[in-house]
Amino acid sequence: MDKTPHYPPEKPLSQLCLSVQERRIGLKLKNRLTLFFAVYIIALSFVPFLHDTLIAQGRWLGYGTGAYQYQNQHYFVLFNDPYDGSSKPHIHVNPDFAPAARISLLEFSDWTSWVNDHNLFNEFNVAMRADPRTLDVTYALPEVVIHKYVEVSSESVKVTLQSEKEFSAHLEMWRWVMTSINGISAKDTTKPLAIPPTTLVEFTFEDERLQSLGRGRIVMSAMPAQVKIWPHEKGFNKITIDFVNSMMSFTVSGSMEEVGAPSQPWSYALLPYVMPIVAITVVALYLLVGKYGRTLKNRIASRSS
Amino acid sequence: MEERSRIVLLAAAVRLAIAPFFMHAGDVGTIYESSIMTLKGLNVYDFVYAKTMQMQNATGLPVFFEGYAYHPLLIYFFAPFYWLFSLIAGPSPVMIDGHYPSLPVLVYPWTPLLLLMLKIPIILADLLVVYLLARVDMGKAEIYAFCPYVIFISTVWGMFDSLVGLFLLASYLMSSRNNFLSGLFYGLSLLKLYTVVLLPLYVVRLFRRRRALVEFLAGLAVTLLPVAYYLIVSPLSIWNVLVTFQGTRIMGGVNLYNFIWIVQDLIFDLAVSMVPTVLLLVALYYLISRFGRKAPLLESILVIMFAYFLFGKVINEQFLVSIFPLILLCRECDHRLWVAPFVFVFLRSPFYYFMLPILWTSPIFYGYYLQADEVWRQLQAAGYLQIPMYAVGIAFSLLIFWNLLRLVDATRGGVSSIPGVTEPTGHRAYDHVLKRARGVWENSITNRP
Repeated sequence: MDKTPHYPPEKPLSQLCLSVQERRIGLKLKNRLTLFFAVYIIALSFVPFLHDTLIAQGRWLGYGTGAYQYQNQHYFVLFNDPYDGSSKPHIHVNPDFAPAARISLLEFSDWTSWVNDHNLFNEFNVAMRADPRTLDVTYALPEVVIHKYVEVSSESVKVTLQSEKEFSAHLEMWRWVMTSINGISAKDTTKPLAIPPTTLVEFTFEDERLQSLGRGRIVMSAMPAQVKIWPHEKGFNKITIDFVNSMMSFTVSGSMEEVGAPSQPWSYALLPYVMPIVAITVVALYLLVGKYGRTLKNRIASRSS
Repeated sequence: MEERSRIVLLAAAVRLAIAPFFMHAGDVGTIYESSIMTLKGLNVYDFVYAKTMQMQNATGLPVFFEGYAYHPLLIYFFAPFYWLFSLIAGPSPVMIDGHYPSLPVLVYPWTPLLLLMLKIPIILADLLVVYLLARVDMGKAEIYAFCPYVIFISTVWGMFDSLVGLFLLASYLMSSRNNFLSGLFYGLSLLKLYTVVLLPLYVVRLFRRRRALVEFLAGLAVTLLPVAYYLIVSPLSIWNVLVTFQGTRIMGGVNLYNFIWIVQDLIFDLAVSMVPTVLLLVALYYLISRFGRKAPLLESILVIMFAYFLFGKVINEQFLVSIFPLILLCRECDHRLWVAPFVFVFLRSPFYYFMLPILWTSPIFYGYYLQADEVWRQLQAAGYLQIPMYAVGIAFSLLIFWNLLRLVDATRGGVSSIPGVTEPTGHRAYDHVLKRARGVWENSITNRP
């Protein structure tokens, strides 16, 4: 067995001490490495900002465990992953006066929607595919295959359900809460109410944080069998639509108008702007402690000695 | 009682008292699920691969099921303890599901016993590390034995990085004595694959000593036999799980790269994640060629691992445990590095998530869990947690960088990192620690009955 130690033999102390030139080279290398690493950290911290401004706008992006999102100047649309029945999709509006704020406009729910009496979330096999313009979600059962297409433009978000065969559907759309729907306020009814058949549903809502009033509309491509609105404590929280057809599209649009004097709220969308600040701050602290911390330590050491 | 035994027993007592009541549902669930499958003779890689294919088909994205993505040998450390458990509790399920985003269903009274049994290999690894460190330096052993971070990762979380730490320590300690065992222990440290970055270092160091190299590689090869077996019986599955998944993970963790978590674009994230990988390769090449042969092994291992911590794209909170014993042996390193990943644990996962075995004992506690989780999710959705996570990640990377510079400085035989204070921080300064370690280790081998 080889018992030779692997570590090099000890050198005399004189050999361990470097010349002044070697020390300078060492310090120079250390400073260069520190500079490189500081610049590296700060440069990378701009990646979210660059992505947000150059790449993320106007296209479907997949992330996480299979969710998709779309962001343009007016709308932020989230379509949740196949393991979550909510937000299928969830449409948010970006107010012109607070573009980083994402105000919930309308949420389609698969948890509470049925096609041919089969629950969209629990009973269908789902496959999602996206190109930059359209998200295509396929809901498949042996008896029926439905495509849900989601397309976003600067004016609206179009959600289309389409199949080769006619199907009957019960869809639920949520918002907490709508102050009025087609002119009916929650004060007018305490029970779920079927409104006269229509292809246009208009609703209003308020946003406390932004002190603003919102308006939304859903335009349907064909007359549904029934539209029902559901009152909750402070307004309506749900619109249910029943129809029988082989294709039905819902074009959703919305806007916000400033009423009070909103304080600019914090939003997740602001994170790309914050990351560089965090990086610069932490790197600056490191450099300051590295420079002055040692000096202070040395002063204390020299005083005590 | 001998001081060494006292520390080991105290460390054991602390761990055994905590182990049955806490867990990370996802990670312990994976070990539990894989142990069952192994005892049934099923192929865990086929299971994970099938789930991944299912997810990719459903989403149209290169997403992966996060299940058993470790060395095949790992599960044989846990399966015997699960088998013992099933002798007592029977084969009925005790933990049902628990993979993110679902919460597990826990069956009582067996859950605490299951957790204890599944954590025994981890606790034993911790105790062996304490024992080995105690033979070198009692103070270091005490730090390891009672470090909140180590206890949390091993005993509360139920993560097995202390097994990696034990085998890495053993590989290092055996390197001057028995190259075959050194290679064997190094191979075992690959239970979590990230220590693979050390392979070039070992090879370069032994390159001109043919016999030593062959012995080392023979030891390593023994541990790779199960990998070879799976490569023959289910090549697609193991390749997908160990290589494709690990190789195409999105960067992040306790490092400067976790900003990517706010960039919700998987394809872009994967592309950006190549940046640190390229730098890691450059850094490894530079460090191994510059210091690999000349510097002492302990420092060389740490230099390489620190470079990995800087440029490895995924650095999870628990990874530091694997090199913590070596950090304690190293004079130039600051062992307080553990504070950053420990803080990060609580920013990434709410503290109550680790208390599920306690909270799931009562519907009232379950109700509290849901309420607390609602608040936590709101904080997450608003982005409030991402900011401190990023700050801690950068701070940890900078501290690693600082330690790396000190090591590089020292292994150059250079001046101290503190200007104005010149000290011989070269080989002489820490060789006494190494010699003591080696001497004690050799004594422990030769004094065996």
